[in-house]
Amino acid sequence: MVQLSAKDQLILDALTSGCVRTCARLISRIERGEPGLVELLRALYMAGGSEKIIGITGPPGAGKSSLVAKVIGVLRRRGNRVAVLAVDPSSPFTGGAILGDRLRMIGHATDPEVFIRSMASRGRLGGLAKKAGDVLTVLSAMPWDFIIVETVGTGQSETEIMHYAAVVVLVQTPMAGDDVQAAKAGINEISDIYVVNKSDHPDADRFRRQLEAMVGLGLRLEGDRLWRPPVVKTQSLVGEGVDELVDQIGQRFRTLAESPELSRQRFRHRLRHRVVEIVREMLERDIQSGNGMLPDSRLEPVLAREKDPYELAREFLSGGT
Amino acid sequence: MQVSERIKVIISMIGLDGHTMGAEVVARLLRDAGIEVVYLGVNQTPEMIVQAAMHEDVEAIGISSHASNYNQVVELVELLEKNDLKHVKVFCGGNIPKHKVVELKDKGIAEVFPPGSSGKKIVETFLNGTRGGKWSN
Amino acid sequence: MKRETDYGYEIKSVYTPEDIAGVDYGRDLGDPGVYPFTRGYYPEGYRSRMWTRRMTAGLGSSEDTNKVLKRYYRMGQRGGLCVISDRVFSDCIDPDHPLGRKEAGVLGWPGCSFLEFEEMMDDIPLTGHSITLLGSCAPTTLRLAYVVALAEKRGDEIGLIHGSVMESPFENYFGQTDVQPFDLNLKLFLDAAEYVLRNNIRMRACIISQHFQESGGNNAQAIAVELSMLKEIIGLLVNERGLEFDTAAKLPYELFSIGSRFFEEVAKMRALRRMWARLAKEEFGAKDDKSCHLLLSVHTSGRTMTYQQPLNNIVRCAIQTLAGVIGGCSALDNATLDNAHAEPSALAARMSLNTQHIVACETGAADVVDPLAGSYFVETLTNRIEEEAYKIYGKIQEFGGMIKALEAGYIQKMLTDEAIKKFQEIENGERLVVGVNHLVLPPGEDFEIPIQEVRGEDSEKIAHRMQEWKKTRNLPHLTEKIVQLYRDARKGDRFNLMPSIIDAVKSYATAGEVMGTIRMARGLSYDPFHIIECPFALDGEASAHAAA
Ligand SMILES: Nc1nc2c(ncn2[C@@H]2O[C@H](COP(=O)(O)OP(=O)(O)OP(=O)(O)O)[C@@H](O)[C@H]2O)c(=O)[nH]1
Ligand SMILES: [Mg+2]
Repeated sequence: MVQLSAKDQLILDALTSGCVRTCARLISRIERGEPGLVELLRALYMAGGSEKIIGITGPPGAGKSSLVAKVIGVLRRRGNRVAVLAVDPSSPFTGGAILGDRLRMIGHATDPEVFIRSMASRGRLGGLAKKAGDVLTVLSAMPWDFIIVETVGTGQSETEIMHYAAVVVLVQTPMAGDDVQAAKAGINEISDIYVVNKSDHPDADRFRRQLEAMVGLGLRLEGDRLWRPPVVKTQSLVGEGVDELVDQIGQRFRTLAESPELSRQRFRHRLRHRVVEIVREMLERDIQSGNGMLPDSRLEPVLAREKDPYELAREFLSGGT
Repeated sequence: MQVSERIKVIISMIGLDGHTMGAEVVARLLRDAGIEVVYLGVNQTPEMIVQAAMHEDVEAIGISSHASNYNQVVELVELLEKNDLKHVKVFCGGNIPKHKVVELKDKGIAEVFPPGSSGKKIVETFLNGTRGGKWSN
Repeated sequence: MKRETDYGYEIKSVYTPEDIAGVDYGRDLGDPGVYPFTRGYYPEGYRSRMWTRRMTAGLGSSEDTNKVLKRYYRMGQRGGLCVISDRVFSDCIDPDHPLGRKEAGVLGWPGCSFLEFEEMMDDIPLTGHSITLLGSCAPTTLRLAYVVALAEKRGDEIGLIHGSVMESPFENYFGQTDVQPFDLNLKLFLDAAEYVLRNNIRMRACIISQHFQESGGNNAQAIAVELSMLKEIIGLLVNERGLEFDTAAKLPYELFSIGSRFFEEVAKMRALRRMWARLAKEEFGAKDDKSCHLLLSVHTSGRTMTYQQPLNNIVRCAIQTLAGVIGGCSALDNATLDNAHAEPSALAARMSLNTQHIVACETGAADVVDPLAGSYFVETLTNRIEEEAYKIYGKIQEFGGMIKALEAGYIQKMLTDEAIKKFQEIENGERLVVGVNHLVLPPGEDFEIPIQEVRGEDSEKIAHRMQEWKKTRNLPHLTEKIVQLYRDARKGDRFNLMPSIIDAVKSYATAGEVMGTIRMARGLSYDPFHIIECPFALDGEASAHAAA
């Protein structure tokens, strides 16, 4: 085991004792892709404890941020310390971004027991930011009772959140159109809890029934029992239904804790994905940089159509030349 | 005018002022210059903005003030300093009388943009003001 | 440089009879006073009724505002008074709220209690001129309650009072924000509207395009949005509150923002008169011709006033004032000189009113009705803007109306996109603004003007006064009225809260208290900013209610 530098040790200590300022700065270093963080991240991973990440996903404007704000409120009332990572899209043209999630959470803007960090997705599809994995490693090493991740509302491929969060909440609204979005993209399988937000809308009950019917179809076998994800109706502007949602989230965490095999299975799944992601990133770095592990000379045979890209990839992975 | 460094700033209103369009336009200009903008919207107190600045680890804060509440911008600067966030630059835009502009700059506001300021100048000021502000450990 | 209207219609170098060959005088214009009222509502125009010449007042304490109103009268304000409230009253919190403390009286009149209204109106009659109280939507019911309560106290017959104290909830989307939620604002707005209409109180509500346009919307969008707001609100009053259309049509007035593009501004006013008349008649089946009249007020455009070379604003304001008059307005307030710097100084206020008097007395513009009718150019512009506005209006209706279009974010996006486009047009020099991107002076050489100082210490004084005064009220009586209001507010959206708000206001409940109580009844926090707690024991009320 490599010894942490004194500086990193200070950071680690600060984080494990809950220093928000240190956390904020470290996240920036991660976002900037500063080199030399591997050891620190490793130490942070080791310091991380039980699973406490809640993923909130759903189409744009479904009310995810407003709902997160109310969930924080309920968790705080129950004595929990909460961290939030809120991801908004980057402009594909300029790399800039307008991060608007925090604006909905101003009710907690001066609460020292709440940490809210906005993050730009930086061209990454799937609703999360590229560096979200590392940031979650940092947050998980800190004494938060819950970590909430709000994804970009992509409407399509929010499945990525399941690779990070222990419990996934899918937020939808009656306005989203006639067909229940959950039917698409296998989202049925990723979500632990369904929320029908904007329940003040006249179509809310009809929508909820539709969703319940659909969820019923997607009854899942978990270990030795059948599991049917609950559907909760909320109105996130006034907080209606949010207590119930938080109860359901807590219930889900308990169920997972009570079925160690199931949670390990889910955990393994997430780890696999995380490793794939890290490998991909490493490879990308190694391959894309011109003077890296795939110099131009090795591309020549493919250019000349003596080899195809698959062949080169296989060679590369097996370490051959 | 694209930047490769991550530059992250806050754009916010302060106090009870509700004229949001200036802030929205500036937020878009900055985004289009490659900056990440945490948009806080209306009804922010200096305390709220300071906490946001700390959580988000931003390089600068832009306040749009169209309601003669620039005294609160001064409060913000003081509070940043108290919270060890002096490196965060504060810019302020809006219909601010000329003699107030001088006063605000004296009190630590990095730049003031009166109505009619060019977008180019605003973006450049943000870029120049933040480039040096990279945090190093 | 662009030669197109602000909504993008490319202007030709000359207009001829061909351009208006399709215009049918009877169908499209009509004489002044005749449907579709393109040319105005009165056959004699300003000869029969001069426009209300006023300046918006409100700064410092209520006593200060009272003094300003009296001064404006001496300066020649005629026909009505107009007061804008500060941000604290606009949000319906109180000056002694931690956030109110910093801004009470800063940008307007701190009207957070009936006492403040009494002080502001000291020695000023309620009748004989129009009473206009502006600010934002949230305090609508309070402003109305003040007027009703004061009339009662003074023994004025309520039917003799006229003016406007109600403001539509849509303004919240256009920069005239308050912190109260849209559904609450809408409910209270409808309560106030229903109350005045059922009790024959001649109070209007501003359902206006001004803020939309001042936030960056173009002329055609402004008309489309205006028409959509009118349709939505009047529709709700008819369908939800069960009023006759001809009754509901007495409610609205439009406040146009009039800029310097002279002919377009005139055309826009003419077009809206015609479009409203058609909507009233064809969609709502107006029986009374009067229901086809939409009262048009004019405010000169603040966003066109420049910070640089402020004296130039006098010229801009004069052009805009003339456009508003030629367009046929019924009231006009204008801001000149220092509009981009601060609240109007005494000099600026005098310049504003004088500008109106010069237009009224010296130009001859008030002698003849709709003087530009028949101009090839102006009639074309009238048709063009109507066409463009109908397109946007059609889109808004496709969403299911104004509220739905806002929920979908359509209006907000249209507005922001347009604001950015306008900003870039100036940035790129496609539109020239003297002193800003054309003929710029070095800052040192710019002319100086007097600036109205804002005194921060005034806010604290106002706050302190309220804090102390609150304790001197008849608290048992006040609490009784608050509890009644709370109970009524739990009776659902259709239960009209005006009577219980008037009662509460008469017992000197403050804006923060009234709104906080209603919020509590709706399951919201007492304080929209979550800083202070409800000073009344309403929780017991709530549980007693739940138990019952
Ligand atoms: N009527 C109603 N509106 C709601 C409710 N919850 C949220 N909204 C509104 O829906 C809009 C979007 O809310 P957000 O919380 O920003 O939604 P989001 O899913 O986080 O949006 P993105 O992050 O942009 O994808 C806002 O205007 C909210 O005020 C609700 O329960 N009822
Ligand atoms: Mg969001």
